[in-house]
Amino acid sequence: MKDGGDYPMTTPSIQDVKKKHEVKLMSLPGVVSVGIGLGPGGRPAVIVGLDKSRPEVQAQIPSQLEGHPLIIQILGPIKAQ
Amino acid sequence: MEKELSNLKGVLQENRNRLLTRANVVATGLGFKVSAGKKTSTLSIICSVVQKLPPSKLAAQEMIPSQVGGLPTDVVQTGVIRAFQSHTACYRPAPGGVSIGHRDITAGTLGCLVKKGGQFFILSNNHVLANGNAAQIGDPILQPGVYDGGRFPDDHIANLEAFVPISFTGGPSGCSTATGIADFLNSIARVMGSDARLQAITTQAEDNLVDAAIARPLNPNDVKDEILKIGILQGTAAGELGMAIKKSGRTTALTTGEIQQVNVTSTVQYGENQTAIFTDQMLAGAMSQGGDSGSAVLDSNNRLIGLLFAGSENTTIINRIENVFSALGVSR
Repeated sequence: MKDGGDYPMTTPSIQDVKKKHEVKLMSLPGVVSVGIGLGPGGRPAVIVGLDKSRPEVQAQIPSQLEGHPLIIQILGPIKAQ
Repeated sequence: MEKELSNLKGVLQENRNRLLTRANVVATGLGFKVSAGKKTSTLSIICSVVQKLPPSKLAAQEMIPSQVGGLPTDVVQTGVIRAFQSHTACYRPAPGGVSIGHRDITAGTLGCLVKKGGQFFILSNNHVLANGNAAQIGDPILQPGVYDGGRFPDDHIANLEAFVPISFTGGPSGCSTATGIADFLNSIARVMGSDARLQAITTQAEDNLVDAAIARPLNPNDVKDEILKIGILQGTAAGELGMAIKKSGRTTALTTGEIQQVNVTSTVQYGENQTAIFTDQMLAGAMSQGGDSGSAVLDSNNRLIGLLFAGSENTTIINRIENVFSALGVSR
């Protein structure tokens, strides 16, 4: 447990938030990746990769996860090279 | 003009061997003389040199005369001329960054050398050296890979030593073992008079950390502990967000990028009907294509940070070298 983890009002770490929501995000159609990168202003963000533009899926994905920004990127299908 | 040129060719032919014996001269040819940085209309014998030196630094016999056989000369600095370093050629010793593969695959990239029990082994991906779990330990590895003309036994460089099995999620027909088991059980079902038919179904696969394998060189002198177009490795480091990285690979040669995401979980397609989930990956922008799999990924100080194995049109997915080393029990 990280410092401050005992206090319920503390914003959970981005790693914990990503871990918690990852399985659900990965199960959405066309989601090929979930990772941690930098968002606007250099702030850490959860980044969700899609195989193509999918407006109906994108509409289901929130722009914030428990206080951390979430960004959607169209990556294309990821293949072994 | 053509007549003039053929006369000039004769003059060049008569004199070129004498010119090429001078220590500094690497090439001779015919071309327009350049004076004060401008091309003139005067045809001359052009001598390419490694380095232009003032006459005071040259012995009399190393000087290029201002005229040869009645023709003016010109001296151009080109540096040392090397054969183009193709990543798909046969190399002995073979460095990292060149084509390699199990005999049943097309071609991938020889990443770099790693140590196990005091010996050097070739590091690349499971899907390059072990044909995506399908190979047997001891199978021949070819350099270059089959797609680049590698043939057994002439290009046999190493034998598969070990691989980390990839756990595939697969489709209904994605797993030959599952299909085999279903066939076996169905044959029992027929004997038992049952109408029930079992189908091989997708099972929940484990998450993967690496797509990695090592091969043992047939002869330690057949491999070289450096990377083509990069040089010598300077240890290892942990990849971090924003880190500048590079790789030398079979298809796209030397490319650079930046780690844009860490802690990445990703679904990766293997061929038409197999998929595997990888966790704790690093993601960079476009810096690779098919055939670059297995490339060693380095930071700007030439420290090894990862093993490239997958990508899309605009991303590259990289295993952490820490995970590769611990899964294979190897080191640098």
